[in-house]
Amino acid sequence: MAALQEKKTCGQRMEEFQHYCWNPDTGQMLGRTLSRWVWISLYYVAFYVVMTGLFALCLYVLMQTVDPYTPDYQDQLRSPGVTLRPDIYGEKGLEIVYNVSDNRTWADLTQTLHTFLAGYSPAAQEDSINCTSEQYFFQESFSAPNHTKFSCKFMADMLQNCSGLADPNFGFEEGKPCFIIKMNRIVKFLPSNGSAPRVDCAFLDQPREFGQPLQVEYYPPNGTFSLHYFPYYGKKAQPHYSNPLVAAKLLNVPWNAEVAIVCKVMAEHVTFDNPHDPYEGKVEFKLKIEK
Amino acid sequence: MSQQTPEIYSVELSGTKDIVKTDKGDGKKYRGLKNNCLERKKKNHKEEFQKELHLDDHKLSNRELEKKYGTDIITGLSSTRAAELLARDGPNSLTPPKQTPEIVKFLKQMVGGFSVLLWVGAFLCWIAFGIEYSSNKSASLNNVYLGSVLVLVVIFTGIFAYYQEAKSTNIMSSFKKMIPQQALVIRDSEKKSIPSEQLVVGDIVEVKGGDQIPADIRVLSSQGCRVDNSSLTGESEPQPRSSEFTHENPLETKNICFYSTTCLEGTITGMVINTGDRTIIGHIASLASGVGNEKTPIAIEIEHFVHIVAGVAVSIGILFFIIAVSMNYRVLDSIIFLIGIIVANVPEGLLATVTVTLSLTAKRMAKKNCLVKNLEAVETLGSTSIICSDKTGTLTQNRMTVAHLWFDNQIFVADTSENHSNQVFDQSSRTWASLSKIITLCNRAEFKPGQENVPIMKKAVIGDASETALLKFSEVILGDVMEIRKRNRKVAEIPFNSTNKFQLSIHETDDPHDKRFLMVMKGAPERILEKCSTIMINGEEHPLDESTAKAFHTAYMELGGLGERVLGFCHLYLPAHEFPETYKFDTDAMNFPTSNLCFVGLLSMIDPPRSTVPDAVTKCRSAGIKVIMVTGDHPITAKAIAKSVGIISANSETVEDIARRLSIAVEQVNKWDAKAAVVTGMELKDMSSEQVDEILANYQEIVFARTSPQQKLIIVEGCQRQDAVVAVTGDGVNDSPALKKADIGVAMGIAGSDAAKNAADMVLLDDNFASIVTGVEEGRLIFDNLKKTIAYTLTKNIAELCPFLIYIIVGLPLPIGTITILFIDLGTDITRYQRAYLEWTGYTAFFVGILVQQIADLIIRKTRRNSVFQQGLFRNKVIWVGIASQIVIGLVLSYGLGSVTALSFTMLRAQYWFVAVPHAILIWVYDEVRKLFIRLYPGSWWDKNMYY
Repeated sequence: MAALQEKKTCGQRMEEFQHYCWNPDTGQMLGRTLSRWVWISLYYVAFYVVMTGLFALCLYVLMQTVDPYTPDYQDQLRSPGVTLRPDIYGEKGLEIVYNVSDNRTWADLTQTLHTFLAGYSPAAQEDSINCTSEQYFFQESFSAPNHTKFSCKFMADMLQNCSGLADPNFGFEEGKPCFIIKMNRIVKFLPSNGSAPRVDCAFLDQPREFGQPLQVEYYPPNGTFSLHYFPYYGKKAQPHYSNPLVAAKLLNVPWNAEVAIVCKVMAEHVTFDNPHDPYEGKVEFKLKIEK
Repeated sequence: MSQQTPEIYSVELSGTKDIVKTDKGDGKKYRGLKNNCLERKKKNHKEEFQKELHLDDHKLSNRELEKKYGTDIITGLSSTRAAELLARDGPNSLTPPKQTPEIVKFLKQMVGGFSVLLWVGAFLCWIAFGIEYSSNKSASLNNVYLGSVLVLVVIFTGIFAYYQEAKSTNIMSSFKKMIPQQALVIRDSEKKSIPSEQLVVGDIVEVKGGDQIPADIRVLSSQGCRVDNSSLTGESEPQPRSSEFTHENPLETKNICFYSTTCLEGTITGMVINTGDRTIIGHIASLASGVGNEKTPIAIEIEHFVHIVAGVAVSIGILFFIIAVSMNYRVLDSIIFLIGIIVANVPEGLLATVTVTLSLTAKRMAKKNCLVKNLEAVETLGSTSIICSDKTGTLTQNRMTVAHLWFDNQIFVADTSENHSNQVFDQSSRTWASLSKIITLCNRAEFKPGQENVPIMKKAVIGDASETALLKFSEVILGDVMEIRKRNRKVAEIPFNSTNKFQLSIHETDDPHDKRFLMVMKGAPERILEKCSTIMINGEEHPLDESTAKAFHTAYMELGGLGERVLGFCHLYLPAHEFPETYKFDTDAMNFPTSNLCFVGLLSMIDPPRSTVPDAVTKCRSAGIKVIMVTGDHPITAKAIAKSVGIISANSETVEDIARRLSIAVEQVNKWDAKAAVVTGMELKDMSSEQVDEILANYQEIVFARTSPQQKLIIVEGCQRQDAVVAVTGDGVNDSPALKKADIGVAMGIAGSDAAKNAADMVLLDDNFASIVTGVEEGRLIFDNLKKTIAYTLTKNIAELCPFLIYIIVGLPLPIGTITILFIDLGTDITRYQRAYLEWTGYTAFFVGILVQQIADLIIRKTRRNSVFQQGLFRNKVIWVGIASQIVIGLVLSYGLGSVTALSFTMLRAQYWFVAVPHAILIWVYDEVRKLFIRLYPGSWWDKNMYY
């Protein structure tokens, strides 16, 4: 006991520490001789190599059990998320504010749309096929080149007035802006039982002081996502797949007032009442057009 | 070591910075270091005292003293007067150093050591949130939560640690109370044993060798007294004390003994002249300022470990901070990584766990009569490899019982049963009458007053074991011994000491017509016989011739051979014409004859071994602990007891046994054929240390007999040269050097002297050897448990740390399971909420993964060397409660509180609970293999490096 009760001076401690770092009597560094350090290091290198190997093996086995085309579990994805272009987020969700008379305020918005729609140009859609069936496009086999499945073409010009071709300003200049509604893809998701899912936009708190409901022009007509874009078979099976789009041209947005607009996807299997998730099956956004 | 006294021994004089350390225990070491300083200080010391003290009691005569203190040297104070004085002066104890207020202690727990790291971490988290918030109002609250969790951890750990500390402090302080210093005081003409705290000035006290001086004492009479003043003056030489006034300076004069010094040998009767803070040592103590409590060694050790862990944590943290910064993370994020790494590495609960483990063990041991003065001792005891055990009281009952008598050339058997009631030997012989008188008179033992209704054998006695045995023996046979003694008034006496080896007293006889004095003597038989010229047979004195001497030796050897302590008794009626009634006997000058006495008889006593000892010795053996008996007793007694308790096993022989069996000379026997050895002090004296080493290394069963205190020290040193961790048990003041030298000193609580108790690390309250085994078991357990705890804690930390490190280097989202990563990889577009949900699933899965691993880890950590199968999975029920509660918490967090966003837990798919199970099994298998190799190849490279 006695040895431990001695009070040591700082110098003694330093000396002991030095001795611990390098002990000239036994040739020990930090409590081990050089050869012992080599051995223990070798052991741990081997140990961690084996550990890494095991981890890799586990991952490999796991990957073998995973179907590359379909996720094992989709129970958290009952209903697709819906989003909007242009997508400008404010403090609480999507907020689009611009001034009709100042084209700098909406240049970015239209630019976003142009960029987005570039993916729907004839060149970009080259590898997809033309579909007109308006029915679910089920594909059991991988009959497309490179062991893939076919994807249906969705061309920007299907959006007509909102395609940016006829009106490169997407109606922003005249206060009747186009918004593009996009529904997220879910593997093997069938939105409805036969009728095409339809986009329906309205004022969130209708009818408010404006008295009249929101007037919307939908492109493609009726604002539907054609059924031949469904089901989606995943990125590996359909490398060229592009989401179908619906453009909504809002015709009677009051000026100089912030309005909340909601665009819902109306289909049997799309729900929009999840209290936690504001973007499930619908997209809400605020719009303020100044003059 | 000296839990009782640190506040006395570390002393700081006001106005000077030097600390005069005269620690009783390690005095030598300090003296070596600070010799010059001490010498210089000693002078200062004495000058200081002279200024401070106006002590002139040493110059006064006994009469003047009596007058000054209103007391009587013969009858002592009256109880009422003593009570008055006690009320006036307060108890005779030093005012303890100022206690730290509880609130300060509590706050210290909150801010000390690791807590600071956590506090800093928490504040950094909040600062980080503040910065984020100021730049982006929608900053997530994660940092706030993290900070709050950190603070909660600190607070809860602090409260727990405080509670534990308070609890163990309570245990320790109750220990302090459990060893009260007793003082033998004369009050109302009666000898009483009272707590020394109740002494008052004017009390007449008796102090015997081994006791601490209970107050400042003016010596009235002394017999061969020497005191150890090292605690006061630093002089290591024992100082003689007598009643003469020899020096003007109260510190130099021989007739004053000081509080807290130790009486090494002899006896003193003295008058208390100062008590409590008014004593010399009290003055020094009150001059002292800021005497800090020292950390216990184990706390230092743990702190050392904690420093290493903290060092590792901080260096990994800083390393990754640098990596993060150079990988172009934002500095603030990097700081958060740094904090995360530190937080993950810090063993938050470790200190509390250690405290709990230690105090629980100490408590458990106290229940088993093992009082741990020094918590670290528990752990040391666990690594003990040699126990040098005293015989008397430790291995035996320390209840001497008269077993045989020899008189009239005959051996008589006495009843050694519990109550002595059935004494059948022939009591008609006149020799017995003489012998019984010697037994009664030549005996200083007395029954403690106030136990008239207690059966004789249970009465408490003031006196040593043999005297007690004799007193009780004679009380049973003869009746009221005190009455007989009163009738035969004692006029002079020489108490027993180890140089004389006899005890003598001179009495008036109870026969009013016989004016002769009766001198009675008892002692070591051979010494007594040397002093005798005649022997009493059937009441007649016969000259002591060859044949009677031979008969004596035969009887002596026979009784001694039974392992019994033999005492010889003789007496002499002093002729009345030479020693008239008024004769003044002087025991120092020995003005009376001590030879040509009349030998009366022998009496042998045995101290039967405790029933639990053989079992305990076997346990020690099987635990790889060598038990060595070291005793001052006769080799034959020692060997007999050693054999009966198994220190020498039934089938082992000593060299002498072999020689006797083969009828050859001892020298002819190959000494390595013998397994056991009995070594006497005489033999030991002539041995070189190499020879001692040889004996200790080559014999499994060793008994050292007739050893002196110095030789005990030699034996302990010899054992330590064998790289053994040595435990020494002892009770006497003469054992204290060995107790101190030992790695762990174990003192006897009942028989032990205060000096021994102070020197020891542990006190056995029941003096029972078996308690040491308990101690060893607990000690091994605690060592193991601490190791296991540390291993467990560190394992968890690494698992917590991994995601951070991977996050920083590879950039994977924070703890997110591989499965969820795969989900994302499959290229499904998801909303922000859906993504968050996946992240939470990741958290939960990670949590569950850790939980499952920790269950495996817990099961692995049940053992350090044995396989789990050897240990048995179901022996420890608590572990299953722990595992079950862990799982329940996991279930509640995952399924019960699924919507609590602060915790970010989600309902977890049932099968995810089993993802970690193969890995849990894997680490368990790895550990089983590791332990298997450790068991298969002890001492190998694997054992050395892989055993933790």
